[in-house]
Amino acid sequence: MEVTKQNGRRKFLSKLASIAGTMGAGMALGDRSSAGPKENTSPTGWPSQLVINETAPKWNPRDMPKPGEKIHEFNIEVTIEKIEILPLEEHHFYTFNKSMPGPEIRVKEGDWVKVNLTNKTHDFHTIHWHGIYVPCEMDGVPLGTQYPVGYNQTFTYLWRAQPAGTHFYHCHNMTNMHIQAGLYGALIIEPYDGEDIVQKTFPYERDYTLVLSEVDTEFLREQMNEMLMMGEMMDAMNGSKKLMAKMDGHMMGWFANKEAFLKAIKDGWVPPYHQSRTGPAMRVEPNFFLINGRPYPMTEHMHIKQGENIRVRLINAGILVHNMHLHGHDFWHVCTDGSPLATPVRMNTVPVFAGSTVDIMIQGTNPGGWHFHDHSDISLMNNGKSPGGMMTMLMYEDAEEAGFKFKEIIALDS
Amino acid sequence: MKTNQIGTTMMALAAALLPTIVLGQAQQTPIPEEPSISPQISLNGTAIGTLEYHSPRIVLPSGIKSSSSRINLSDSALMLGISERLYRKGGIGSFVIGGTTTDSDKSPSGTEFFLHKLYLDYQTHVLEGYIGRTDTGTQLVDFPTLRGDDLNEFVNVLNPFSSGENIQEHRYTNQATVVLNRNLRSFLNLHAQNLISSSQNTVGQGGINSYGVNFQYQELAAMQALKKVPLWGFGYERQTPGSGFGGANNILYGGIVYNIAPDPVDRIDLRLQDIYGFGNTTSSFVNVTDTFRAPANTIAASLRWLHSPFGKPGHQISLTAGYKSYTNIRDANTLALALTGVKRLGSGFDLVLQYTYQHRQAAYAAVYSGVRDEHSIQLGFVFNFNHTFNQHLGPRRSLMNLQHQYIPD
Ligand SMILES: [Cu+2]
Repeated sequence: MEVTKQNGRRKFLSKLASIAGTMGAGMALGDRSSAGPKENTSPTGWPSQLVINETAPKWNPRDMPKPGEKIHEFNIEVTIEKIEILPLEEHHFYTFNKSMPGPEIRVKEGDWVKVNLTNKTHDFHTIHWHGIYVPCEMDGVPLGTQYPVGYNQTFTYLWRAQPAGTHFYHCHNMTNMHIQAGLYGALIIEPYDGEDIVQKTFPYERDYTLVLSEVDTEFLREQMNEMLMMGEMMDAMNGSKKLMAKMDGHMMGWFANKEAFLKAIKDGWVPPYHQSRTGPAMRVEPNFFLINGRPYPMTEHMHIKQGENIRVRLINAGILVHNMHLHGHDFWHVCTDGSPLATPVRMNTVPVFAGSTVDIMIQGTNPGGWHFHDHSDISLMNNGKSPGGMMTMLMYEDAEEAGFKFKEIIALDS
Repeated sequence: MKTNQIGTTMMALAAALLPTIVLGQAQQTPIPEEPSISPQISLNGTAIGTLEYHSPRIVLPSGIKSSSSRINLSDSALMLGISERLYRKGGIGSFVIGGTTTDSDKSPSGTEFFLHKLYLDYQTHVLEGYIGRTDTGTQLVDFPTLRGDDLNEFVNVLNPFSSGENIQEHRYTNQATVVLNRNLRSFLNLHAQNLISSSQNTVGQGGINSYGVNFQYQELAAMQALKKVPLWGFGYERQTPGSGFGGANNILYGGIVYNIAPDPVDRIDLRLQDIYGFGNTTSSFVNVTDTFRAPANTIAASLRWLHSPFGKPGHQISLTAGYKSYTNIRDANTLALALTGVKRLGSGFDLVLQYTYQHRQAAYAAVYSGVRDEHSIQLGFVFNFNHTFNQHLGPRRSLMNLQHQYIPD
């Protein structure tokens, strides 16, 4: 690959010598965190050129912390809580530290993150660090990279925060159910000071995180109960050697390998998908659509002033695509999955795919009180009734000075 | 031809009226309902069909001797349950309607359909109240026989107003009941019952003719196989036949389920129940009804082995026995046992085999056409299902409600 000549290219090469010089000969994983503004950038600092090594970790994920390096330690506990997502609409959820979503984790790129996950429920949990270059053992996939964390157990995750950007974390055990149950949270890795090209291009102070998700409260209740029943039973058997001997993988549907699975079927084990045992499975049909764990009208507003830029981080922790639309404005789509796009893209509706994150910059150009919502109208309902669901407001704090008198009205079907 | 024309006109009229009829078909309610929310609907059914051989020939409740063989369809049932969440976390409102089949020597088919459930139910965290027809308030322990009415006179507090024609009259009754609970594990049941009065001797005694109280402890469903004592309880009942009919009867009863081998794969449990009646003056048997009201002590016990490979029921073998001795009547003791085998062929579908034996002493046998020893063997299938449509309520005793604070759904 030809690297186009630019001013300061020498400096760029010296900083990234190992990478630029060894293309095609494997990746070096040296510390390049102290890199200044990248040379392949536009005058605003925006990347203007393809660097195919951009996806390589800056630090070797398999390193351990060295003395003097910053370590942020968090204790996260999973419990079952009653949460009233709307007045009178109360359900049981799994929570990280009693909140849904879980607490936002915000650290600087290159810092270490240590999380002690303690499970206080009779189900199993893990934490998957979505989008992070963790060492494989820290990836949080139950029976994939670790044993799931059982009742009263603690598992410690340790990893270095990279790459920078908007990410999230979630439980990866029975993911569909456990995310609906509330086990997800924002994970923001801020670039080193002076390296945030979004900040450079659109100077901003206020920064909003909107985690999008859905829940089918019927599915959730039934599945949670089923899993807790099994977990409760297993925890009661735990401690009795005689009983534990009976509890081979058959009971959980866990097998060492494909041969063991096939042998179990030969021995009479009926797999859960088999019609004669389960009947048609319960379909997931979300009835509440949430922004930061609450549907409209209990969502929180975003605030802006004329001339101000605000950054909005959209994280889709759910199972559907959400097409977030802002009334009365265009905005700039600046990042996807944490990394800056090749160039900011101007739009008024941005799709946020399941598992994806999108950062947008909203400019205070049109005073008022504006709706910001998923334009798939099916997500604008609470239990099938509109309006509701995935909607919030962009409120101008100085709208009145501009001559706009806005009175917020909460109008629900009667 | 003319009738035909009338028929056609009627049909046209009916067709024109149909929309109105469909919308207006719900019966009048105190506050007329707009199109209501679609409630949760549960459908629950059990079909039991067995080929039965009897020795000596079957004696029907009327005393008539029947054949030594039959196809027995009794105790099959179909129930419909309708529920909804009430306003402002106010709990759950439901009603249940259902019928069950009974033996009958009056019906040419040998089987009749009996309305065994029709009640309205109101549930909150702390209490459940229901009114209507359902299981008698005195039921404590379920025994693992093929049918709920097997060994009837040993496992149930009997109905002294029953003619004996329909066994289900001992198991289902009209009642008003309030059940208070502590943590949804301990239940205090207070009930006033209108036991079905079908005996000619008790005409005019069909009002509230039985009332009582009982206490029951129930372990979590998940712990049924693992806790030593998943269920126990006791109660007091006062039945009030008229003084010309032996007078009131006081009954004390208690029962327990004990896991000899708590184990999710090979569970062995013991069930015990004792029913002790006193205070009634009945001292001889003229007809079957007398055997339901005379003071007696009744013990029932069962030993059951449930084998659940991979945690799912596979087969069950159980021995259930009952013994009854009358306080005021000599030579009237009776005992019975049932040996029951169940093999699960599919979810809710079982192959069943049951042998039962009953011995009656002379005074007791007298009201059963003098039959002192009776054997029967049955082979057949059972199909049981439970399905919920439009689900938006969870069971009140779910683990989440039990352990993580109650939510009325
Ligand atoms: Cu989890």
